[in-house]
Amino acid sequence: MDVLRFALRKLLAGVPLILGVTLLSFTLMVHFGPDRTFELLGKNPTTEQIAELRHQLGYDQPFLLRYGQYLRELLTLDFGHSDATGEKVASLLARSIPVSLALVLPGFVLGNLLGVALALLAASCRGRWPDRLIMAAAVFGMSISFLVVIFVFQIWFCTSHGLDLFPVRGWGMADVPDYLRHVTVPTLAVVFVALGYNTRFYRAVIVEEMERDHVRTARAFGSPPLRLFCRDILKNCAIPIITRITFTIPAIVIGGALLLETSFGIPGAGKVTYEAIISGDQPVLKAVVGLTAMLFVAALLVADILYRVVDPRVSLE
Amino acid sequence: MSRSAARDAGDSPGHDTLWRLAAHKLLRDRAGLLALAVVGIYLLAAIGVWLGWWAQEWALITGSKWGPVSAEHWFGTNIIGQDIFQRGIYSTATAFQVGLLVAVLAVAIGALLGAVAGFLAGGWVDEVVLWLLGVIDAVPFYLMVAAIAFALADYPYSMHVAMVSTFWTGTARLVRGEVIKLRGLEFVEAARAIGVPGVTIIFRHVLPNTFHILLVKFTLVFVDAIKSEVVLSFLGLGVKEGMSWGLMLSESTLEFLAGQFNNLIVASSLLFGLVFAFNMLADALQDALDPRRAA
Amino acid sequence: MAGTALLSVRNLTVEFDGRAGRLRAVDAISFDVLAEETLALVGESGCGKTVTGLSLLRLVPQPPGHIVAGEVLLDGEDLLALPERALRRLRGRDIAMIFQEPMTALNPVFSIGAQLGTVLRRHQGLSRRAARARALELLEQVGIPEPARRIDEYPHQLSGGQRQRVMIAMALSCGPRLLVADEPTTALDVTTQAQVLAEIGRLQRELRMAMILVTHDLGIVAESCDRAAVMYCGRIVEMRTTAALFSTPHHPYTVGLLEAIPRIREERLADLPVIPGRVPDLAQLPAGCHFAARCPRATDLCREVVPAPLPTADGGLVACHHPYP
Ligand SMILES: Nc1ncnc2c1ncn2[C@@H]1O[C@H](COP(=O)(O)OP(=O)(O)OP(=O)(O)O)[C@@H](O)[C@H]1O
Ligand code: SF4
Ligand SMILES: [Mg+2]
Repeated sequence: MDVLRFALRKLLAGVPLILGVTLLSFTLMVHFGPDRTFELLGKNPTTEQIAELRHQLGYDQPFLLRYGQYLRELLTLDFGHSDATGEKVASLLARSIPVSLALVLPGFVLGNLLGVALALLAASCRGRWPDRLIMAAAVFGMSISFLVVIFVFQIWFCTSHGLDLFPVRGWGMADVPDYLRHVTVPTLAVVFVALGYNTRFYRAVIVEEMERDHVRTARAFGSPPLRLFCRDILKNCAIPIITRITFTIPAIVIGGALLLETSFGIPGAGKVTYEAIISGDQPVLKAVVGLTAMLFVAALLVADILYRVVDPRVSLE
Repeated sequence: MSRSAARDAGDSPGHDTLWRLAAHKLLRDRAGLLALAVVGIYLLAAIGVWLGWWAQEWALITGSKWGPVSAEHWFGTNIIGQDIFQRGIYSTATAFQVGLLVAVLAVAIGALLGAVAGFLAGGWVDEVVLWLLGVIDAVPFYLMVAAIAFALADYPYSMHVAMVSTFWTGTARLVRGEVIKLRGLEFVEAARAIGVPGVTIIFRHVLPNTFHILLVKFTLVFVDAIKSEVVLSFLGLGVKEGMSWGLMLSESTLEFLAGQFNNLIVASSLLFGLVFAFNMLADALQDALDPRRAA
Repeated sequence: MAGTALLSVRNLTVEFDGRAGRLRAVDAISFDVLAEETLALVGESGCGKTVTGLSLLRLVPQPPGHIVAGEVLLDGEDLLALPERALRRLRGRDIAMIFQEPMTALNPVFSIGAQLGTVLRRHQGLSRRAARARALELLEQVGIPEPARRIDEYPHQLSGGQRQRVMIAMALSCGPRLLVADEPTTALDVTTQAQVLAEIGRLQRELRMAMILVTHDLGIVAESCDRAAVMYCGRIVEMRTTAALFSTPHHPYTVGLLEAIPRIREERLADLPVIPGRVPDLAQLPAGCHFAARCPRATDLCREVVPAPLPTADGGLVACHHPYP
């Protein structure tokens, strides 16, 4: 019950955030956004036609009313139809979001696991050559643009100039081999790009924890290093790790997928968003912004509950 | 800490020594000096472009389609016969223009709002700033850029505006936290007790003490800005006038399937060199300025 | 002196890398701890007491610390030369340490029962259940009220004194032969201090352990220690039986410390400059005797030549060119 009440309170606390995000994006995109009246009308429209279309599009209504309308769409998850294709926005997203998740998650998970592993290795050899090597490689990796990584991996893995093992573009999830064929190169790219950042972050967290008194106590009572790192220190580092992971999920589902999907021609939420950005497809954009904000609040909530699970000092108060 | 805090309220405590020690440490840090030199060379290239010394023919068609590497075209020509090397060097100026503009503004705004929020922590101003930080961090970056691009229609600096309005949050959070720490120190309390107005305290006593954070943050935002520029330009949301590494990279997508890699190689190497040098510089600065990161 | 040495420290030297270069926190110190005796390690803050204690178990943080020379012989076996694995088996089982900071010495995310149980299972090979039962006993022994409830609590739910008792329980859990207690009571309030100290003393006698008791407090030394080593700037300047030290202190620094006693009583030595002058910066130690700048008997010889530790008539040691008789 405590957990439930806690969750409700956190969700309520997320309301101002969602209102802020939606208000900001609504103001920028819809209020200042392009006027589509003349784009939709034929040549030489009459005043009545103009007025009627503007009424249909809701342009003649006051700002607050239109914003309220948006909030209602968000609550009912009914965002109307895409300007560009006429498809229902809800079904467009229901189709594309799973693709993005399938695309991004393997790389995300691998990138974090490898990051933690390398960070543990580096931290346990602190100051010696494996540490230096790993950290130098991390800065090196961090300095390469995601875009360049995608291009180079495409050339290397997907064209006759390299290994030519995978398709350059396209997507398929019909069966496992099909999925693997399409997900491998994007996953490698995601891991490559994230690894440097992750390793540095996790190493910093781990090293800070290593210097704490209780680690010295554990060593004074004969704790072997492996156990020290993999149990004591990792559990103590859980809070920053959880924070990082939960908070990058909303960003990576849209942001990470956007670049990957446009480069690899994958019909996920990122590509849908990108096309909406390029064509000014407001119903889609409003849906994406609103949903990401909600996802963000959900991530905050999940993180808060997880903190409680891993750290007895954090209470539900 | 107590020793420095006990100084006269008009001083920024212990600051000279911090900077002197930092400079001393930086001068002994060979990787840091090398990074600084590399950044200096890039900056020189950019200044040369601004002053019209070189890379002025970046837009002219001076060769044939996909011309080979030659004495005339050091890295060949692109799909319509423009000199790739000149375009690469010209883009250095664009990168600095984007990086400097965005980093200076974002760090300045972040420092200001962060300092005010931290100084008034617990009050409504702080609440509003925190709320704003949350809101901006909850909007995906690309959508923010797109939204601002929409709102500003065809304004050539819409990308810069978008970056500044998202990149200031990191600095603001850091400075806010630091100011909350500083606020409790004796020299700030002393200033308050003798009736120095809040604004003066923030600008004269508090902000100068966060300068080392700002310097490191500046280098990091600079890196973020030029990396983002590349992606945004590739997506068609970035640089609208002139040339940039991002535009070169998106040009290269037309070429590498045909086996032409010059654009890709030049743009990505130049980009990598600058970002790497800045990352190393950021590390060196952090090492030098953060007393906790000694040895 | 009677008895055989359980622990022999020879020529131990520990250095730290710092901003201002290398400093020597412990400078070639040697001492013995006999079986079942209590040796006090006293001196002002920063003189190297904790570092000495940590070195015995090779726990000096590295970097920035380095044990650059010396031997730590436990029953004739050099712990500083032991492979890491063998040393681990010994830590907590043969030599246990209680730390200065009870608030942070326990792991905040594991229950105290889990932390005690881990040590018991590791060193005594107990099963999970047996370890828990033993942990309960230990908590009872060190005077934790309601151990059955406390055992599943986390460190933050305990008071400072209780945490230190848990540390003591952990240190005693495997019946070590030597206990290094690093100012076990400094962080506690006065009444708790006395209780915790009495507890340690009782358990020490019961388990027939030897103990190195690090402290600022000469009162504690007088009450509960057999011998005392006085440290100054990383060196042992005088080491005598407690009775001898208090009746006829030889070293000018010891004399200063003892003269300060009536004035400080409850106060901690660290907080009061009881001897004129300041402890020199370890990074810029003077040549010769480190105490010369504050010493009323200092001569040119003192400022140039390091005084070697010399045996005293009663079997102690003093490192001074002009000791008090
Ligand atoms: N982790 C460390 N890094 C750098 N120097 C250290 C470190 N630990 C100890 N030192 C140095 O070693 C010296 C001795 O420290 P130590 O902790 O042994 O003092 P102490 O006698 O235990 O003092 P206190 O009574 O305050 O506990 C200190 O003055 C300090 O300069
Ligand atoms: S050696 Fe000299 S300076 Fe040092 S304590 Fe003895 S008399 Fe004093
Ligand atoms: Mg100590």
